[in-house]
Amino acid sequence: MELIGEVAAWFGDPTNWAGTPGIPNRMFEHVWLSGLAVLVGTAVALPLGLAIGHTGRGAFLAVTVANLGRALPSYSLLLIFFTFFGIGFATAFPALLALTIPPILTSTHIGVKEVDRDMVEAGRGMGMTEVQLLRRVELPMALPVIIAGIRTAAVQVVATATLAALVGGGGLGRFIVDGFALQRDDRLVGGAILVAALALATERLFTVLERRLISAGLRAVVATKPLSVGPFAKSGSPIAP
Amino acid sequence: MRNFRTATLGATMLALLLGACTSGGSGSSASTAASEPPASTAPSVESSAEASAGPSIASTLVLGGPPECPERPFCLVGLEKTYGLKFKEFTPLDAGGPLTVQALTGGQIQVGLLFTSDPAIAVNGFVLLQDDKQLQLADNLIPVVRKEVAVANPLVADTLNAVMAKLSQAELTELNKAVTIDLTPTADAAKAWLTKVAIPATGGGSGSLTVGSTNFYEQEILGEIFAQALEANGFTVERKFQLGNREIVFPALESGEIDILAEYAATALEFVNGGAGQASTDPAATSAAFVTALEPKGLVALEYAEATDQNGFVVTKATADQYGLVTIGDLAKPAS
Repeated sequence: MELIGEVAAWFGDPTNWAGTPGIPNRMFEHVWLSGLAVLVGTAVALPLGLAIGHTGRGAFLAVTVANLGRALPSYSLLLIFFTFFGIGFATAFPALLALTIPPILTSTHIGVKEVDRDMVEAGRGMGMTEVQLLRRVELPMALPVIIAGIRTAAVQVVATATLAALVGGGGLGRFIVDGFALQRDDRLVGGAILVAALALATERLFTVLERRLISAGLRAVVATKPLSVGPFAKSGSPIAP
Repeated sequence: MRNFRTATLGATMLALLLGACTSGGSGSSASTAASEPPASTAPSVESSAEASAGPSIASTLVLGGPPECPERPFCLVGLEKTYGLKFKEFTPLDAGGPLTVQALTGGQIQVGLLFTSDPAIAVNGFVLLQDDKQLQLADNLIPVVRKEVAVANPLVADTLNAVMAKLSQAELTELNKAVTIDLTPTADAAKAWLTKVAIPATGGGSGSLTVGSTNFYEQEILGEIFAQALEANGFTVERKFQLGNREIVFPALESGEIDILAEYAATALEFVNGGAGQASTDPAATSAAFVTALEPKGLVALEYAEATDQNGFVVTKATADQYGLVTIGDLAKPAS
């Protein structure tokens, strides 16, 4: 129980909030590394997923890449990349990027594929081009599933970015790794709390984002009948009426 | 209930996001602010002592070492107190492992903490900075022999002392590299080294001896060198290597199961005296204390080598050339 007091004292110590090893900078490093990985991961996987979902071509590739990506442990990726890129960001970033692509690719491809074909045909009947179909029909309707995929990726990345400290990187994992090295439980637990809180915050951020981005017409549908498409539909949070 | 949950989570998230956002700005400014003052104030403190002007070399360099380094007397604390060094930054890495080596070669750090006989120093052509103000405890290589054996055969001590006299830091590091990196068999590496340094083979020895070693490769290499040097002088030598740790090897020495062992003065002294804190940074004093501590066990320590295996601060050849670094003390000199 005295650990709680020690951890509280650790958070209260102003020296832990200053400079490069301070909480604000480590939080910034963590958010920066995770954010960039999710951003680049989305930039790669989203267009690919949309193309595969829309054309129906390359689905095998998407599934293979996704399964492969999920089977690779992040820690071993870190150690493999370490031998090529050295310490810190250069190694942590590609390892995290590899983590973001499978969920985003899968959710996008499945989200688009599962859009009611009648809707797509109706659009086509109205004379929409393929790009218009994708942008105005498929993308808006698949968006809940796509965002759920990005959220899964983001939460995983925030949790896994902790490992960057093992290859000499920054981020909140520093407190945990250094806490072990120094046998200082206050630092260790404090770091663990910060990582957990950041992961929860990320989860909530995407819930809010989802609420904002999903088209109003779809919201009513979702509210009455939650979308039951794709593997990520379940983790999509209930939309408040 | 759900509203409550949503509200709490939302509040947590907002607080954290705000923290993260503001930290983005203040974090980076704080870090520059934190690294700026030492750069300007630290040298002024040093300059009074070193009679130099401008920022020190250290204040422009990043130090890398194990995460516990900033709180350890033989690491950052000692560098600050004994040498008056303030580095630009400290990067937490590992205890003389691959991270530190990679960070040095990759240029993310300029000064790294490795062990003084680490083969990586030879592999990468790093420059080991001399501990000119003797910050580290004297872990010089030193042979430990059963007194009975040493008294009966003075040639044993003469042979081992001749070996230790030739064992420089660079020689030991090269031996470690040959065995662990180039995968030369220990016996071949030992033979090549003995041929190279030309230990005089006087002959005249007789009887059989047993050389022991812990599981540590360096002690095993030394054990093999001892064995071959003794064989060259006519002794019959049995090797009992990889026996385990000190808790096993020292009782084996006392019981006569082995006769000879390569040890490290400071660490072995503190092992034998139960951590009484007699080891110092002076190898002569430490080995003298070691001899005294071994006396009741029926053991004796011979002459120590120049070579050590202790904390060592290294820089790349390029950094050493750029700043003209030979000793740790050189890091306190003005940068320009």
